Amino acid sequence: MTWTMAQRERLALEHQILHNQGFTQFSVYHYAADDTYNAYGTATTSSGRRYQLFCMIPSGYPTQRPSLYITDPKPLLNYQGAAISSLGVSHAMHTLEPHAAGWVQICHWRADRWHAGIVLQKVFLKAMLWLEAYEQHLATGRDLAEFVRTMQEAA
Amino acid sequence: MSNGDQRSMIRDAMQAIAQRKPGKSKLVYDKTKRTIVAVSEGVSAPQALNITADDADMFGVVTLSSAWLRDKWPNLTTLGSLPVDFSSWDDGDALTQLALCVQGSGTRASAMLVFGEQQAQPGYGLVISIVPTDKPTHRPDVFVSPDNIAYRAQVTEVVGPATGRREVVFADIEPQLDLRRAGILETTVLKDRTVLCVGLGTGGAHVAVELAKSGVGHFLLVDRDRLSVGNVVRHPGGISQVGRAKVNVTRDLILEKNPNALVDVHATDVSFDNRDMIAGLVQAADLVICGTDNRQSKLLINELCVSANKTAVYGGAFRRAYGGQILRVRPKHSPCQQCFVSALPEEASDVEVSSQSDADAIAYSDRPVAVEPGLSLDVLPIATQLAKLALLELLADKSSTLNVLKQDFDAPWYLWLNRPERGTQYADMPPLSSSRDEMTINRWYGIYFERDEQCPVCGDFLAGFAAAYGIDPSKLPALPEKE
Repeated sequence: MTWTMAQRERLALEHQILHNQGFTQFSVYHYAADDTYNAYGTATTSSGRRYQLFCMIPSGYPTQRPSLYITDPKPLLNYQGAAISSLGVSHAMHTLEPHAAGWVQICHWRADRWHAGIVLQKVFLKAMLWLEAYEQHLATGRDLAEFVRTMQEAA
Repeated sequence: MSNGDQRSMIRDAMQAIAQRKPGKSKLVYDKTKRTIVAVSEGVSAPQALNITADDADMFGVVTLSSAWLRDKWPNLTTLGSLPVDFSSWDDGDALTQLALCVQGSGTRASAMLVFGEQQAQPGYGLVISIVPTDKPTHRPDVFVSPDNIAYRAQVTEVVGPATGRREVVFADIEPQLDLRRAGILETTVLKDRTVLCVGLGTGGAHVAVELAKSGVGHFLLVDRDRLSVGNVVRHPGGISQVGRAKVNVTRDLILEKNPNALVDVHATDVSFDNRDMIAGLVQAADLVICGTDNRQSKLLINELCVSANKTAVYGGAFRRAYGGQILRVRPKHSPCQQCFVSALPEEASDVEVSSQSDADAIAYSDRPVAVEPGLSLDVLPIATQLAKLALLELLADKSSTLNVLKQDFDAPWYLWLNRPERGTQYADMPPLSSSRDEMTINRWYGIYFERDEQCPVCGDFLAGFAAAYGIDPSKLPALPEKE
């Protein structure tokens, strides 16, 4: 893995934007052992429930879309009590291909809508909106898609 | 009788037919007598052929490669004869030397090439004698040897059924092709240019072939797909090519038009996984043509081209090819693909879904997207315009008749509409016949928009965002480290 200086600067800026915008529960981390980057933290919904969010920074970032997973709770269950990860790529739940570890992948931006102008703070913001919609889904049984508009492109 | 004499005679005969009074008789060319005869109407004339324009090339043709013959000339003159193989077309009506064929007919014919008057050649039905001539050297039936002597060829059928008279022409590929382009295109410049073509669907393949026709000399082709039966109604590749990788199909189409072109093929995806390989191809190219419908591949190509300071031209059709667009990116001088996506997200997202893989890329598994390819005739105007813009870039500041187009094509973004598609902002366009200044179908619109100075790819994103968020970019703290 070889990161350009522009990528490293961008990730440092992303970290600072998160903290400047009040998203201090999320940080960008550097893994010195293999020179990789990830961003993660704990999201707390308006109901007070806590979710661990994990954003994998790909080697092509920011042109390449980062994946965002819910690593805890695991499994994340739907209204019917089934693991959401078993649904795979779902419009009803706004999820993409789950991680091999069984983590649910949130659809923040589809790859065909992602671009380098979108910052991680917006990604985590969308994840928090997804979690609020998820809890509405748990309360009502209605599809999560009914509570969130299809993810818009504007960064 | 020479070809020119025949054609002149036929032209005269056809003129006579056109001017004659109705009734009585008609003029026909008697192939056996090789002359024009008058035949009373209603009288059976089995030996005669009605004259049509097609009869101007009525004799079988044998085509030999001049380059091959020059190469083999010492052998031919020393040994006295050489075997030569042909691709036989249309029941032997046309024999094309295999050395000239990218894709042959599937039927072979052999002949013996003899230096001097024909000698008996047992085992060979067809003997081609190369003999000196005093005909002008510019004629296609004259070959000029390396020692600058003019020769013509005569054919003798030694055995087998007579197939009628055959004429031999010499195909000197490069000068004969250049002759047709000279005066409009700077062919010597284009021969040295390298074009990277990413995405060889209907549009991309068409652009590549058009550039080959124009004389571009070196192609780097990238596409992961194979030609399917459904592709054939749009793609330049035909039904006999189904199952082949599109890079190979397109390579052969290029070589059919420009046999001297150098074509490197890469049957691979354009993805971040092979970013380094693609970066190497971008570095080797003078110009990049991107014909993919996939946002991520376009943005990857954009990033690599901006980084390498290579001009790129992106083209694509809108859904169902109701129109299309072209974006030309001159790094740091005009908006890049990222600027385009940021400034015009809806326009950048309107793409044709021409294959299942395109559909899968934008669909959820519980909400499939229909494959809705447009018509070939709606894609080709976009590809043709893209090829023209590509030529302008390749010729750059070189002298060319196309230079006068530079003031017409100075916008970064070009829009074309095939029809006023319902559900789009163009649905209520006025008819072509009544419009004056409004947008209509079948016109190119060059559209200007500004480059984003804070673009994350071609601008100073760091400074821009730092300013927007009140961050001092020179004082960014080190990221927290993890084991």
